[in-house]
Amino acid sequence: MSVASESTPNAGPVTASAGIEVSGLRKSFGSNEVLKGIDLSVAPGEVVSLIGPSGSGKSTILRCLNRLEDPTSGTVRVAGFDLTDPKVDINQVRRHVGMVFQHFNLFPNMSVVENVMLAPVETKKRSKEDARKQALALLERVGLADKAEARPSSLSGGQKQRVAIARALAMEPAIMLFDEATSALDPEMVGEVLQVIRELATSGITMVLVTHEMGFAREVCDRVVFMADGVVCEQGEPEAVFGNPQTPRLQEFLSKVL
Amino acid sequence: MQPSTTRIGLRAVVTAALAALALMLGGTAAQAAPALRAPAAVAHADLAGKKFTIATDTTFAPFEFRDTKSGDLIGIDMDVLRAIAKDQGFEVDIQSLGFQAALSAVTSGQADGVIAGMSITDERKAIFDFSEPYFDSGVQMAIAASDDAVKGYEDLKGKTVVAKSGSEGLAEAQKLAPKYGFTVKALDQSATMYESVKNKTAVAVFDDYPVLAYGIAQGNGLKVVTDKIPGGQYGFAVAKGKNGELLAAFNDGLAKLKSSGEYQKILDKYLADPKSASSGNIFKLAADSWPALSKGLWNTVSITVVAFVIALVLGLIFGFMKVANSRIVRGIATVYVGIFRGTPILVWAFLFYFGLPQITGVPGNIFLAGVATLALNSGAYLTEIVRGGLQSVDPGQMEAARSLGLGWGKSMQRVVVPQAVKISTPAIINQLVITLKDSSLLLTIGFAELLYQAQQIYAANFRTTEMLIIVGVIYLVVITLLTWLANTVDKRVNK
Repeated sequence: MSVASESTPNAGPVTASAGIEVSGLRKSFGSNEVLKGIDLSVAPGEVVSLIGPSGSGKSTILRCLNRLEDPTSGTVRVAGFDLTDPKVDINQVRRHVGMVFQHFNLFPNMSVVENVMLAPVETKKRSKEDARKQALALLERVGLADKAEARPSSLSGGQKQRVAIARALAMEPAIMLFDEATSALDPEMVGEVLQVIRELATSGITMVLVTHEMGFAREVCDRVVFMADGVVCEQGEPEAVFGNPQTPRLQEFLSKVL
Repeated sequence: MQPSTTRIGLRAVVTAALAALALMLGGTAAQAAPALRAPAAVAHADLAGKKFTIATDTTFAPFEFRDTKSGDLIGIDMDVLRAIAKDQGFEVDIQSLGFQAALSAVTSGQADGVIAGMSITDERKAIFDFSEPYFDSGVQMAIAASDDAVKGYEDLKGKTVVAKSGSEGLAEAQKLAPKYGFTVKALDQSATMYESVKNKTAVAVFDDYPVLAYGIAQGNGLKVVTDKIPGGQYGFAVAKGKNGELLAAFNDGLAKLKSSGEYQKILDKYLADPKSASSGNIFKLAADSWPALSKGLWNTVSITVVAFVIALVLGLIFGFMKVANSRIVRGIATVYVGIFRGTPILVWAFLFYFGLPQITGVPGNIFLAGVATLALNSGAYLTEIVRGGLQSVDPGQMEAARSLGLGWGKSMQRVVVPQAVKISTPAIINQLVITLKDSSLLLTIGFAELLYQAQQIYAANFRTTEMLIIVGVIYLVVITLLTWLANTVDKRVNK
């Protein structure tokens, strides 16, 4: 079910909904229009990947979903909040929407476990003991319990990204956004990160992934959205999109990357 | 003679500036004049037990200057005045104000008399009543002690001599120049003139003979080969028509001093065979000067610390304003930085100390003026350091913190600022060192910091180079310690 079915536009989260509803989304940087009217729905629990050539606007959509970028026009509803409503408490929204970045963006001034604890302690007023317990459990889950006291700078890329995932999960988000989570990794480290994401995909959390890992998208996702030149060009189940592409643009793209 | 020229020139100007501030302050660490009292041994009928405020100059060796060790005002003027006071049975409260300020103090009634190596001139007679002359001055030539070539004026042909701007020495040198064919160059300070003769930039110096004689006795490395050219006479003065009994007592006491031979003893003490104010090697000089220098060092360090703490606050406030979203807020910070980075420190020192009191009518406080000058200047540089630090933190850090639901302030506090501080620390320590060195500029408004104290000392003992080496070493040691301390703190905090 989609959030779009809710009646009052500014009512905030009516349910603990984990859906996403984007309509008519446009985004310009100066005179450069990157998103040219995007309509996209993601149902709660659905795992969707955004694929497409670079510059097609995939990352920009993702960043509009937690308002790291302000939409130029259109509406974006996430987890029951209307993000384009100026009155919305964006910090509140973001606590329901975890994000994982291409370059990890771990906080170098804190240890690994402190990175994971920071948001729960600061925004949920959770006690440090509780937060630490939860953080250690999450680190266990991503296979890094032994690195809890390490500094981020001492970790490999794959380890950093797994910590970043644990950090995002610490807020117990309903939605997770992955912005090219494996693009900055050495090839031998991609697997360990994908394994964590794969495990997450089966947990029922709503996920939107911008990725260049076509095999992974095909294997893990419920739906694949192909973007080109700021518009959604084609979408569907992975088997359909990869096995039977309809548009010449997608056929051309797949012939290059597969 | 035209003695009014004797004491004009830079020294007078600087003295006037210092005096003005001394008056405004009513006595800072530097200027605080110890009240010196001459006990009334022999009671004079009229003046017994009376106390007079006498104004004088700050440093005009050998007439008035501070004893390197005790910091007390000594010199011919001081000794003569105290001896007369003792003889006549009155007390004196000596105010060391600077030359021009001393004159103003008497005309405005804040002081009863002035004794400051002051030439008796017709112009001054219109405003003051003078005592009998107590000293016959005049100009004399001096050459380097090692110079055996110059025996008289005739040996100066084609050479360069120096004299003090606006002084009688300059006038006399210029009178002699055409006849003997030498060039005259004007300089501003006695110490500078002597140095240039010693280092052979000039072959001779023309200066007031007592000042010269005293300097030679202090080991300034010069000697005299010609007789003095007779010149002006110095007198004690009171405001015209006032304090007649004081003037009479001075004349009476002076006559007695002269007849008893005590007067000659005083002159000999400072001119003929003066006990060197500071003898021995540079280490002895440093040890002797330490009481005055340590006072200056304290002032230097304390004003630097106070100013830098305020500058850090300013730097943080304006640094954050510089990265704000609002164009207006950024604009305010940019204007602040532009103004204080785009103007010399000295301009602000003078403005805060001399200008502001005239506008507001509130007397200036030299410490506060100095703090404001240094803090606002340093704050401007720290603003840019803070801005640079904040902007050098990867924007992804802010995005990651915000994406977790932390507000802007929390994200700054927990994520961006700690990293910015770490990045900025070396530059901040550097700025602290710069501020400490810049504090020496405050000597121009008379703030008694380290270099000011050194200048006061070499104005009296003429050991310019050695004093500068001593303060240079002190600055070096203090800055090295400060840097080491800051780096240690940095390592502890920014692990």
